[in-house]
Amino acid sequence: MKYSGFSLLKNSFSGHKHWPNIAADIEPKSRYDIIIVGAGGHGLATAHYLAKNHQITDVLVIDSGWIGGGNTGRNTTIVRSDYLLNASFKLKDFALQLWQALSQELNFNLMYSPRGYIDLAHSDGELEHFLSRANAMRLGGANVEILSSQQVADRVPGIDVSDNARFPVCGALYQPDGGVVRHDAVAWGFARSASTAGVHILQNCPVTGFTAKDNHITGISTTRGNIECNKVLISAASASSKLASMVDIKLPMDLINVQAFVSEPVKPILDSVVNYNAGLAYISQTDKGELVMGGATDGYESLARRGSFSSIEDTLARATQMFPFISRLRLMRHWSGTADIPMDGNAIVGRSPVENLYLNCGWGYAGFKATPAVGWSMAELLATEQLPQLLQPFALDRFKSGALIDDAGIGPYPWLH
Amino acid sequence: MLLIPCPNCGERDEIEFDYGGRAIQYPALNNSMSDWHMVLHQRDNSTETIEEFWYHQSGCECWFKVTRNLNTHEFES
Amino acid sequence: MQIRRLKTGGCIDRSKPIYFSFNNRLLDGYEGDTLASALLANNVSLVARSIKYHRPRGIISAGLEEPCALVACADEHGMMIPNLKTTEARLNKGLTARSQNCWPFVELDIGALLQMGSALLAVGFYYKTFMWPKDWWHRVYEKFIRRAAGQGRVTYDADKRLYDKKYAHCDTLVIGSGPTGIEAALSAAESGVSVILIEQDCVIGGSVLWEKTSTDSLTTIKLKQYKNLRFMVNTLAFGQYDHGLILAVEQNKKNVESIFWRIRAKSIVFATGATEQPLVFPGNDRPGIMLAAAVRQYIYRYAVIPGKRAFLAIADQQERELTEKALQVAGVEIVGSLGEGDQITGTSGWHRLRKVHLLNKKSISCDLICVSNGWISNAQLSAQMGDKQTFATSLEQRPNPQQHTGSAKAFVDLQNDVTRDDLALAVREGYSHIELAKRYTTVGMGTDQGKTSWPNAIVELERLSAQDSSRVGLTTFRPPVSPVSFGALVGVETGQRMVPIRRTPFHNAFEKAGCVFQTTGDWLYSRYFRVGKESMNDAILREVSAVRTSVGCVDMSTLGKVDVKGRDALEFLSRVYCNNIDGIKPGRLRYVLMLREDGILYDDGTVAQLADNHFLVTLTSANAGQSWRWLNKLLQLPWPDLDVQLTPVSDHWASLAIAGPQSRNLLADLNPNFEIDKTSFPFASVKQGLLDDDTPCRVFTVSFSGELSYEINVPAGFADQLFKRVLDKGAAYDISPYGLETLDALRIEKGHISVGTEIDGRTTAADLGLGKMVSTRKAFIGSSLLQRPVLQQPDRMQLVGLIPADGSSTIPAAAHLTDAPWQVGKTQTPLGRLTATVHSPTLGHSIALALLERGPQRINQKLWAVSPVEDKSVEVLVVGNCFYDVEGSRLHE
Ligand SMILES: Cc1cc2nc3c(=O)[nH]c(=O)nc-3n(C[C@H](O)[C@H](O)[C@H](O)COP(=O)(O)OP(=O)(O)OC[C@H]3O[C@@H](n4cnc5c(N)ncnc54)[C@H](O)[C@@H]3O)c2cc1C
Ligand SMILES: [Zn+2]
Repeated sequence: MKYSGFSLLKNSFSGHKHWPNIAADIEPKSRYDIIIVGAGGHGLATAHYLAKNHQITDVLVIDSGWIGGGNTGRNTTIVRSDYLLNASFKLKDFALQLWQALSQELNFNLMYSPRGYIDLAHSDGELEHFLSRANAMRLGGANVEILSSQQVADRVPGIDVSDNARFPVCGALYQPDGGVVRHDAVAWGFARSASTAGVHILQNCPVTGFTAKDNHITGISTTRGNIECNKVLISAASASSKLASMVDIKLPMDLINVQAFVSEPVKPILDSVVNYNAGLAYISQTDKGELVMGGATDGYESLARRGSFSSIEDTLARATQMFPFISRLRLMRHWSGTADIPMDGNAIVGRSPVENLYLNCGWGYAGFKATPAVGWSMAELLATEQLPQLLQPFALDRFKSGALIDDAGIGPYPWLH
Repeated sequence: MLLIPCPNCGERDEIEFDYGGRAIQYPALNNSMSDWHMVLHQRDNSTETIEEFWYHQSGCECWFKVTRNLNTHEFES
Repeated sequence: MQIRRLKTGGCIDRSKPIYFSFNNRLLDGYEGDTLASALLANNVSLVARSIKYHRPRGIISAGLEEPCALVACADEHGMMIPNLKTTEARLNKGLTARSQNCWPFVELDIGALLQMGSALLAVGFYYKTFMWPKDWWHRVYEKFIRRAAGQGRVTYDADKRLYDKKYAHCDTLVIGSGPTGIEAALSAAESGVSVILIEQDCVIGGSVLWEKTSTDSLTTIKLKQYKNLRFMVNTLAFGQYDHGLILAVEQNKKNVESIFWRIRAKSIVFATGATEQPLVFPGNDRPGIMLAAAVRQYIYRYAVIPGKRAFLAIADQQERELTEKALQVAGVEIVGSLGEGDQITGTSGWHRLRKVHLLNKKSISCDLICVSNGWISNAQLSAQMGDKQTFATSLEQRPNPQQHTGSAKAFVDLQNDVTRDDLALAVREGYSHIELAKRYTTVGMGTDQGKTSWPNAIVELERLSAQDSSRVGLTTFRPPVSPVSFGALVGVETGQRMVPIRRTPFHNAFEKAGCVFQTTGDWLYSRYFRVGKESMNDAILREVSAVRTSVGCVDMSTLGKVDVKGRDALEFLSRVYCNNIDGIKPGRLRYVLMLREDGILYDDGTVAQLADNHFLVTLTSANAGQSWRWLNKLLQLPWPDLDVQLTPVSDHWASLAIAGPQSRNLLADLNPNFEIDKTSFPFASVKQGLLDDDTPCRVFTVSFSGELSYEINVPAGFADQLFKRVLDKGAAYDISPYGLETLDALRIEKGHISVGTEIDGRTTAADLGLGKMVSTRKAFIGSSLLQRPVLQQPDRMQLVGLIPADGSSTIPAAAHLTDAPWQVGKTQTPLGRLTATVHSPTLGHSIALALLERGPQRINQKLWAVSPVEDKSVEVLVVGNCFYDVEGSRLHE
């Protein structure tokens, strides 16, 4: 059933009794062409584009939990494409273009809100780096500006750009099309579209292993039995490492806890997404009114999805530097996710050493924004066996070859990324 | 906030420490590229407990190795 | 007028009346009241409007679980603090409170018209519409949605209140001071261990304060007997964390707004009690419907009667009897009670409950319904660390939750206006797992943390999806247990105090010399020295010219310095640095490069040999801390067998470099007790001795500027004296102190690399033209992985210099290199990017350093430096990366 104001009106007369299930429960078949492990945004997007762009629907998306229950449902929903390195920028900028028309394509309001992303510089040197990044983006066709501190103040009421701040604001990079997207809606919208097209979505069913012959996967094992297939995509974020190790692949990444938190909901007070860079804190306001914030990772390995409160204090101190008024608000909820961070801080997407096993992981704390572009490109790879140009730099073997994509220049120390 | 067992100072709050990553077995400097690649990059993330390095930055400045459960955060000896 | 206040009883002080204002009405209460009890005493029942449908809402509870009665209260500076629960706000003098989310008044709220369209506003309606026209979501719809959402309002004014943070440690921490908690605390104290007892309420006692069941008259006196027992009231334990850490916020202090406590305990007793659950029935949100235990609390503790005619909807017999007794004590008429098998089908009333309608067609007039749907243990704190069992068990043990049907809205979550129909729709659409239902309907996600909605929601979902609870699941409990102020969590780390400011030993002297400082990392570093009213650019011109033609001096104290001693010191250093340094001699120094383990260039600096087996190493300022850790890591972990001692001496030395052709003369004027002529003190050497017979020093001949230069290190306490003498003696040469800007200009003229620009964590030594420094004779950190094929490829980005092709144009900063000028609307793939640009004061034209694909092979080619953001394209000529004194002869003059 198509979603629209009209159908909403129609259904309101029948007490909303006829809306269908967005991802109908299915009994898994014994064999699929393609199995996607992980019903996060990325896995579901891949399924959607397999169906839409390549008419492949003999697909199973399987998840140990519920759709979007991984990092997709835990992230701070910022989308932007302001990356220095071409590989990073290109993929995220393609995603940004896709976000713009995705609600209509999926017929699900993802609430893409291009309210502008503002990255603060705290020294002239830093501003020069931002200018370099902005220039690279412009050359790549993106819309981006550099703001003076006064322009920052004009655009963001309540922000402290005074000289007496500990780390004064010297200016900012401003990406007008950057903003936020409702994270849950992304998972649900892709799931509904894929499911409607005939893709099977199986929730609450962990993948426990793979059946393989030679260097070839023949199927997966799950808590509900074995399922055969021609190709497997592991798109399971932090669980990808463990899954890959079942076929003897050691992935070059660490699993680090990263946190986020929200204030109590208040009436609109902040209209942009703002990022503080002397130490890290970023902040935006959800449509429900909560101020949502995040910062640096906890800096050590963890699977507990439970972080150190000191990093929240740290983030808050920085957020309060930006917006001194927020100390009158209250912390309503804080939560964590496990960020899968590779040795150069960038994702691992593409083929694996096993012939028909594909990988999409290592997105850490930054992969939500890339969701549609990764789904699009991954679907192309799975369907055509041709590696799309956008994905080429993200190959697993880059750590061995040295073709790193280290936007932050930090090196093989994921806990510092 | 973890309570980390420094071999010199005993249990101290996490904010005194700096993380040093997985307790890798450093290859000899002249070992091959692929040795270094395997040790420095490839991770076994299939286990619940790992060995890791910590540095008692705001204390005795000792580097030490501990075993920690990644789900419970408990240190094991 | 406190017309609902009983004449006697209660833990309030009738001799201390407190006046306060609510929605601009002046009201009174007594010390000991909460805002909620005072409002009820004044017979105010309509307190708030609900978030989605703007339905009238009153006070449901007497504690932190309150979902409905949220208000804004002014702080002592008159700033409104939004979203406070009337049940948590203590009544103090002059309190000003206001209803939220209503306009113009809480009594007459235009937003309530929304109720008429509520069928359209079914749960998740916003996912199904507002998609067209394409960009209207952000431009139009979202603005309305955002304005409608959000509870209270906050203004941009900075918070002026004070907050603090403290630590505490104990053997046993008891959370909750009800009978269980008190007993636990006393028995622990008796055993001699250190005990902390914390209570979020303003007094000790918990349920004893209102359940007149306990005969034990607890007094704080008993607690005070123990020196090893400390109790804290007004202190909310809001979260449990690893290794026995409880975080708490203490409020209502005298001189600070609140204190954020980090309490580390060996064992923790959770005596946090339980929360009574409301009933889900049609019209269950009308002001006047209250939890039975809350009714008892208002009567016993606050001597307030929340109604005059009470109807009881309480399944549990004991609970009902307790409530009846309380109502009788207060003289409230009990007009009826929900019988077995009967159901509430609706309620009526406008701003206040007037009637309850029952299934058996009876309507009873009443102004209070006391409800109870059983108790759920307050297991949030223990659940935060993964123990969901307590919660699950208490869910199971609850008396059979009651079902009620009817056409009106039956709310499961009173704060977020989530009804039973909403949950049904969520289940129908496939959002039946509790986590999906929560996200889709927002049930339990309000500021009350779902304390009165989770249990009912889980039961509803189980019933609706006919599933066992294992599939519906339990929700994850996230801290905090109840909202805590950001201000408290930040404490005093605001403004300039957030991160300590580091100043070099020269700071005060520089300040007097007209230095303009700049925040650089944690440091406050000299940027330039202003003479008279000159501009920064003029100052730079003057400073550069002083260095190039005479002499200047600059602070080098932020460099990291490590003293390296021991039999294996040289071995250690040659493993750490990629250069061949084995030929170094005492009294000499080398420029060295440090790589990361993966072969990427990480840091540069110098190694000076002070004596046999004794070296001084410098680290760049930006990396000083990290490099120090790194050197220690190597020594302590893989190479413990090396006989090396590392000592950090960064802060011990004040370091001032004098640079320029006259620097040797100036050094001579400082009267060193050692030879400084060209042959006895050549470039790349170190000498130790005395200046003027009274100032111990180490002098290094190193140069960042390309000029003859001496880096004079004196113990930090001699900084003022050194600077003064350098200026005094330097006056003869027109010396100019200089800062970061000039330092940078000089180094760009010389093509020297710098951390953060050329050493950016991606480049190799060879990329920066320093391939020759990388030893092929030895293994060192990074030597293996540096061999990775891509790091050895010839087409990498490599360092070059750029000058304007026309000799005079200004090369735009942060530009990228392309084949053609920038054109709007045309994408280009750059061949490289600029890392540093300056208008060279010495050469009189613009110069730049750049990383360029196959850079050295493009020398003498022309390219375009484009800066689309500034809409500039300048044709540039690729040249070598050194613009000044390419042979380096000036270093040896
Ligand atoms: C706190 C936080 C803030 C963030 N903020 C941002 C941000 O602002 N912007 C941004 O772009 N990115 C952000 N991110 C990163 C972003 O959330 C992720 O990169 C992205 O959502 C990853 O999507 P995914 O589909 O790959 O993974 P997930 O959504 O994690 O999906 C993986 C799925 O795999 C399933 N799975 C795991 N193991 C198995 C198994 N054995 N069998 C079957 N299924 C399995 C999981 O249940 C899960 O549903 C943030 C992350 C966190 C944690
Ligand atoms: Zn120690």
